[in-house]
Amino acid sequence: MMRNTLLSVLSLVLVCWSASAQEKIKEVVTSNYNRNSVSIVNIQRGDSYDSNTQRAVSGFSLGDKYDINNIRTKSLRMPKTRTEGVSQTEVDEVVANTAFAREILASIFNRDSNGMMDDKTVRYRGNYDAKDQDVINARAARVGTDALGDLGHGLVSGSYIVLTDFYKIERNTDSKGNVYWTTNAQAYAYKIGMDRDALDSFYEQCWIYDDDDQAAREAKNRAFRNLDIPMIPVARATSAGTGSSVEEAAESCMGNLITGLENRIPAWEVAVSIIGKRPLRAKIGTKEGLKNGDRYRAYSYTEDRNGNLKSVKRGFLRATEISSNTGMSIGETEPSKFYQISGIANIDEGWTIKQSNDAGIGVALGPKFLGLGNSVGIGLDLDYLMNVSNVGSMSYFLLSGSIDLGKSDYLPLFVGLGFGYGLHLTRMFEIMPYAMIGGEHMGYSNSDKSNDRFLRESALVLEPGVRAAVNVAYPLQVFAKAYFDVLTLQGPLYKMYNEQVGHKSGLGIQFGLKWTF
Amino acid sequence: MIALTLLMTFSAVSANAQSKDRRKSFKSWDNYEITTEKVGVDGTKFVKVWGFGRTVDAATMAAKENAVHACIFRGLPGSATAMSTPPICPNPDTLASHEDYFQTFFAAGGPYLAYVSMTTDGVPSGTDRRKVKGGYKVGIYVQVMYDNLKRKLEADGIARKLSSGF
Repeated sequence: MMRNTLLSVLSLVLVCWSASAQEKIKEVVTSNYNRNSVSIVNIQRGDSYDSNTQRAVSGFSLGDKYDINNIRTKSLRMPKTRTEGVSQTEVDEVVANTAFAREILASIFNRDSNGMMDDKTVRYRGNYDAKDQDVINARAARVGTDALGDLGHGLVSGSYIVLTDFYKIERNTDSKGNVYWTTNAQAYAYKIGMDRDALDSFYEQCWIYDDDDQAAREAKNRAFRNLDIPMIPVARATSAGTGSSVEEAAESCMGNLITGLENRIPAWEVAVSIIGKRPLRAKIGTKEGLKNGDRYRAYSYTEDRNGNLKSVKRGFLRATEISSNTGMSIGETEPSKFYQISGIANIDEGWTIKQSNDAGIGVALGPKFLGLGNSVGIGLDLDYLMNVSNVGSMSYFLLSGSIDLGKSDYLPLFVGLGFGYGLHLTRMFEIMPYAMIGGEHMGYSNSDKSNDRFLRESALVLEPGVRAAVNVAYPLQVFAKAYFDVLTLQGPLYKMYNEQVGHKSGLGIQFGLKWTF
Repeated sequence: MIALTLLMTFSAVSANAQSKDRRKSFKSWDNYEITTEKVGVDGTKFVKVWGFGRTVDAATMAAKENAVHACIFRGLPGSATAMSTPPICPNPDTLASHEDYFQTFFAAGGPYLAYVSMTTDGVPSGTDRRKVKGGYKVGIYVQVMYDNLKRKLEADGIARKLSSGF
């Protein structure tokens, strides 16, 4: 009985493992990245916020990474209160009833009121998207580099619309009476459902030639009006923002919405091959919206025993020196440089790297010993990656907070801001000297309502220190920190409380775990 | 239990045999993939060809050899943008009857290299660079100087000139 159960379990595990392996084979990451084109359409609810949110959306720039399809529809009306967001089903319905695909085609092919079209935009985009390999291939072929523009026809299928929706817009007032606004936001992305066959059919049925007679022109215009090309939902992202006006709050959501969609639409994630080592180099740059500190993930390729292609994850790297490649490729694109931050193996020439967005924010948590209180506390540090150099040195903005658990009656709370400079002796190990300035607040008095009470209960703290972090399983790191707290400029109430608490300048240490988001 | 052991043993033997067959097939000169990319500039063929070797460099050299080999003995397949090309030496006995000549021609650093240029940008990369058991399998773009190669083989008496039939 026992044996049969064991065999059954073993069989089940084997079946699951096999199914999982098959699934992995399907998910091969490739370096085939082409530029995509996007149009942003705002959902209006028929209320007073419509104009504010519309201005925020219209004023938002997608940067160099995307081409813009200038379609006629800039907004969609969906009457509904802003207490909640519009649902996917509701948006699907509205999108299905709007001729987005036709508008996209009309924009790409510069269709005029007579139905005449041209391929200027397509050819420009084809030339602009061409990689060095495309240029070299074109030179080796009889058709020559004039044919690079033809690559633009393949980009039509990479056309998207993004619908933005702002809801739960609220007016708030802070303790000083300043007004600020908050909003939630969501974005729905739809891709044009047009493959190469559908595009060929479009050319055949709708393209008007100069020598077409009136009847042919009318038939082709009719065919264009009757085009039934679906927009396929591909992703949804959410965000929230704050600002001094509704427009500013809405604007602050836009970047996060696009990043959120990028993380969910594989075709939007830039992928390219490493072309050189020491330092790692790849032919992408400003044209792909690359910025210092952007994170990429490396992949190599293997074949299993059946010849199926598999991509193997090989660690992360960050962009360091960004090349300006916002021009037509002539086969000699200057590469950008990268620094490897994780992975057992050295990233090699020929491996693929793919965009893997993160916020660049590290959260470190762990117990603190000694320090100001010569006791045990808990510390929470946030670090924001500001810059990465070719040799792996990284600049951080630091925000630190800690509480002394040994003197909880007076709730001694330290908050500091600082700057750290991380040096990578190897990619797995970072040592970061840092300096921090902050304040420690102690005690609480209900009867004292004076404005400067907070200052009188606080003291200035200077904290030079050094933090060492080791990759355990990136983005998880183990860290240890040693620092010296200098307690100075004590407020009168702080000084009084401190006679009981006994905080003083001193050496402290902290251990813990850090996760990078 | 015995049945299960037998099944696992059989599976392991079968997998091992498959693996050996696969390694053999990599090394065979009759087993390489080649596709015509586009019509090449005058007198050349523009192809993508695969090669296998213990290192990426060795696999790249093997791919270059394969490209020249295909032009001489196999011919080039057609594609959506280019017609197929017949082999320079269509006679299947040519290789055997001129074995010494081709040993020298395809030797490491041999004359064949004068008729092939790699047009891959940099090193073979992405899915064109695959780690397989025993080495690497790489795909590269090459330009074969087809007309020059043909003239060389005709001059050396390996290939028949078109005029020789008349």
